[in-house]
Amino acid sequence: MAKTESSLRFDTRLIHGGTSPGPSGATKSPIVQASAFAYDTAEELEDIFKGRAIGQVYTRIGNPTLESLEKRLAAIEGGIAAIATSSGMAAITTAVMAIVRSGDEILSSASLFGGTYSLFHDTLANYGISTRFVDPTDADALRGAVNENTRLIFVETIGNPKMDVPDLAIFSAIARENGIPLMVDATVSTPYLARVGELGADIIVHSTSKYINGTANSIGGAIIDCGSFNWQSDKFPHFDQFYRKYRNFALTARTRKLIHKDFGACAAPLNAFLNCEGLDTLSLRMERHCSNAMRVAQFLDAHEKVSWVNYPGLPDSPYFEVANRQFGGRFGGLLTFGVADKASAFRVINALSLAKNLANIGDTKTLVIHPASTICADYTPEVKALMGVGEELIRVSVGIEDIEDIIEDFAAALEQA
Amino acid sequence: MNLTVNGKPATIADENPVSITDLLEKLQVEQREYVTVELNGDILDRGDFEGATVKDGDTVEFLYFMGGGR
Repeated sequence: MAKTESSLRFDTRLIHGGTSPGPSGATKSPIVQASAFAYDTAEELEDIFKGRAIGQVYTRIGNPTLESLEKRLAAIEGGIAAIATSSGMAAITTAVMAIVRSGDEILSSASLFGGTYSLFHDTLANYGISTRFVDPTDADALRGAVNENTRLIFVETIGNPKMDVPDLAIFSAIARENGIPLMVDATVSTPYLARVGELGADIIVHSTSKYINGTANSIGGAIIDCGSFNWQSDKFPHFDQFYRKYRNFALTARTRKLIHKDFGACAAPLNAFLNCEGLDTLSLRMERHCSNAMRVAQFLDAHEKVSWVNYPGLPDSPYFEVANRQFGGRFGGLLTFGVADKASAFRVINALSLAKNLANIGDTKTLVIHPASTICADYTPEVKALMGVGEELIRVSVGIEDIEDIIEDFAAALEQA
Repeated sequence: MNLTVNGKPATIADENPVSITDLLEKLQVEQREYVTVELNGDILDRGDFEGATVKDGDTVEFLYFMGGGR
């Protein structure tokens, strides 16, 4: 008997989940590089606009290649629907703006990717949406920060670049207690480490440009609706018309028919195709990213010129217990370490030959960056301290090269520290 | 029985009440995992698809959230 999709094991679901045969039995979803889609009659197009029939209209709203990525991501994450966006930041912006309105508050983990911090702290603040940033490992502080205006709780599975691992059960409990949805950025952990919908996320956002794409050849993002939040709530009157018509698809309907359509941050079909390609090999790559990162962490931890290493897989990490429980003994491909000071960090980065100095993570190649002078350069000293971004810190996105070559590269570079 | 489906007349062979789940199958409705069903003006919860039935003369609308309009 054929297995139902949801009964397939994760690695199989990555390859087969949400897929359907392409034209002529093609085993790949074609790249439909078209802006718009024609219909024979006015009645057909009217039915599509009314929602009575399924059909593509215009690539900003939907496209068969985007739909292929959306269905696969929804199946992999166990969500009810997904929306592909032009970037990870587009996914966060679109998803957040679908939920909050002027006057509302976001309760966010203080440990955030720089782009997200900037969005919440600067951009959204200019539109009357304020954010409270709280240490994601302090449950009492999180609980205490919820007020009558809070409409969304936001957290990253592994804080980038702080590398802290919040306990999602606590976040989920606080969200449930207050009738507020929980949005989780699972970019760093990927669905390979955890399906965070099972851990209490109501909405999952990804920068698919990272580990999902895997080879750093295209930008993309995604919003996955877990279908777990009840939008029929006094806190969300702006969802009424969508709840009435689409019930547990209310968030996806409001996002797709209003915010995503209006903001227009749609994915490019070619990029969606390339991100689909990455999904096939996500497990294999993540397995190697994780094992290589552990080896690099252990090497750095034992090195005399390294002051500290922050990798949740090291048993003395304050986040080991939570990470081990949430991620099933796998800890991802990202770590940070400290040397003496900024000058020393620069010398190490300049002396690396394999590892590339650039602003990205999740490539097959090993990548490094000095966050304090680049992606976090605009932060005040107080914010840098909050984010755990010191001048001596180097972030490493460990690639899937032969581990001995990676370690030799760092060993040689650290001689310059 | 005779129904009005998405504004057009539709006939199905059954005389007895038919569940929404069966109706979706009989009418070969697309992408059933995403469809919302409106029966005589009332939106049904997905959990009611098995229990709710249509009878002769009913009006049924199938709605999707994927399209551009509201």
